[in-house]
Amino acid sequence: MNQRSLHSDMGVIVKTTARATIPLIGIFGAYVVSHGHLTPGGGFQGGATIAGAGILFLLAFGLGEMKKKYDHHLYSALEGLGGLVFLGMAMLGLGVAFFYNTLWHNGPFNGEPGTLLSAGYLPIMNLAVGLKVFTGLMSAMVAIAMYRRWKE
Amino acid sequence: MNVLPFMIIIPLLGAFATPIVGLAGRRAREAWAVLVSGATLGVAGKVLYDLWSTGKVLVYTLGARSPLGEGGFPIRIVWELDLLSGIMAFTIAFVAFLAIVYSLEYMSHDTGLEKYYTLALILELGMLGIVMTGDLFNFYVFLEIMSIASYALVAFRNDTWEGIEAGIKYMFVGSLASSFILLGIALLYGEYGTLTMAYLAKLMGENFTLTAKIALALLMGGLLFKSGAVPVHMWLADAHPAAPSSISAMLSGLVIKAGGLYVMARIAFSVFGLGVNLKTLGWVIILFACLTLIVGNAMAIVQTDMKRLFAFSSVGQVGYILLGFGIGLAAYGTDVGRVATAGAIYHIVNHALMKALLFMVAGAILHQVGSKNLNELSGLARTMPKTTAALIVGSAAIIGLPPLNGFAGKWLIYESSALFNPFLAAIAIIGTAFCTAAYIRVLYTFLGRPSERVMGAKEPGNAMLVPMFILVVAIIVMGLFPWAISEKVMVPAASMLANIKGYITAVLGGA
Repeated sequence: MNQRSLHSDMGVIVKTTARATIPLIGIFGAYVVSHGHLTPGGGFQGGATIAGAGILFLLAFGLGEMKKKYDHHLYSALEGLGGLVFLGMAMLGLGVAFFYNTLWHNGPFNGEPGTLLSAGYLPIMNLAVGLKVFTGLMSAMVAIAMYRRWKE
Repeated sequence: MNVLPFMIIIPLLGAFATPIVGLAGRRAREAWAVLVSGATLGVAGKVLYDLWSTGKVLVYTLGARSPLGEGGFPIRIVWELDLLSGIMAFTIAFVAFLAIVYSLEYMSHDTGLEKYYTLALILELGMLGIVMTGDLFNFYVFLEIMSIASYALVAFRNDTWEGIEAGIKYMFVGSLASSFILLGIALLYGEYGTLTMAYLAKLMGENFTLTAKIALALLMGGLLFKSGAVPVHMWLADAHPAAPSSISAMLSGLVIKAGGLYVMARIAFSVFGLGVNLKTLGWVIILFACLTLIVGNAMAIVQTDMKRLFAFSSVGQVGYILLGFGIGLAAYGTDVGRVATAGAIYHIVNHALMKALLFMVAGAILHQVGSKNLNELSGLARTMPKTTAALIVGSAAIIGLPPLNGFAGKWLIYESSALFNPFLAAIAIIGTAFCTAAYIRVLYTFLGRPSERVMGAKEPGNAMLVPMFILVVAIIVMGLFPWAISEKVMVPAASMLANIKGYITAVLGGA
């Protein structure tokens, strides 16, 4: 029991495969987030996908390695930042109404529909939601993984 | 410039920025929470004044100037406030502000406080959203924001067994109740194809189907749970004692009213008012009200835990408010109905103030003495006179003694129930008799001979005493002008709530 809990990482095959797949999962998640207004998916789906890469890291390399990479204050602040960016985008058009899409109606993000910069505040909101979902899920998973011990 | 969106923007900004501001240290975080809730109170005051002085329903559309799309029906989320929403929003912002000031000292021994203030602001945000919204799904989202924040806050002290137990119980049954509400909303959307409350009300007036009746039953079931009415009140008696007292003050004073009673009134009058048989619906609510009155108040007498006693007393007081709304529905369109609705609205505000005060008193005693068992607390009046004075005012107000605010609200409910059906008045009086017995018992304990446990007790600091005495002053001042407040605020609010056509045309225009 104690031996296992000290070595909470996986074998060499899993680790090597994780090294190869974590960037791919991350890139795919970033693609889903940034194309949320064009293809199925969006901030939540993409954010959860990227968090999947983080959870794979946690499982493959173990909690000890994760603790070195994870900074609680940074993730907490980034989660707040994601919310603030979303709120800021919603407030940009406050002269007309809350959530008025002024970036679409008055530019600059009013390109041809179907192109990347075409949906006003939507891509930025997707990025904000993706950031918030990723940091939130990661913080929750790490907090659960670090939970004191099995028995009192 | 329209201040209405700032009632959501400010607490949302406050909650999102708390983890970042919290990096600057403890003082900054506390100052930020007080500042944000204070600013929200200012906005809510302005909105209430606008609503009261113009007497019009205030509509705000998200995303564009008009809620209507090219088809001539509403396609956007609208926020729709009548005077009842304004009163609720102001009460929520007021009590939440005091509870946050109170927790500066009360919560000072706990850890994880950056989460506490974030959750408290989110709880306030959810309640404000519920009273503002004019869209059913938007209401559901805000209801979940409020519910999830309150689950987390009930279980906030997760090193105590009762916090975890109450949190689990509250969360399991609360999620079930929320899913009933969501199912009801889904049925309504499938049947009528819209989620805007005003447009839904208009469509229901034209064609009221069986599906709508089932949806109403599901919604009412969920909302009775959220308001702590009797067959489904068990979570409340566990959650309120287990939560930190500043949160109990918000839960008991605000959450059960914003998430339960207010929405029940809004859905019964404004959404289903043109379709459903109001007399039947009113009698169903009256039935639950009578059960709630008797069981809640009777269970309060036998408690030995002070916060549990207050929690059961909250259940009992919910019974009065339900009775008022029930008579308001069953006697819709008559003077009796209007007076009963006004009494219910008045009692919502009064009970929010006095139950927040009582839970703050209980928190002060728990904080200073370390016990909330009434058998151990005799003679506290000797060592904590100021806290005891606040307790006496709160208890007298909740029983309904004339110079305090509880009197007028209850009087309107007694009067209208006696005119409507004397049997209901008798039940209301029996409930009050039980309630009086419970509080006399508390007072008798406090004024007795000091026990060893309380000899070393001291008064709490100013951060706890000042919010308590602001509430005492509010209770006394509202008690001095009961009929003026009733005539100028509560009766107009009841008339606006009963004016279903006005609620619909405010969104749809003359159409």
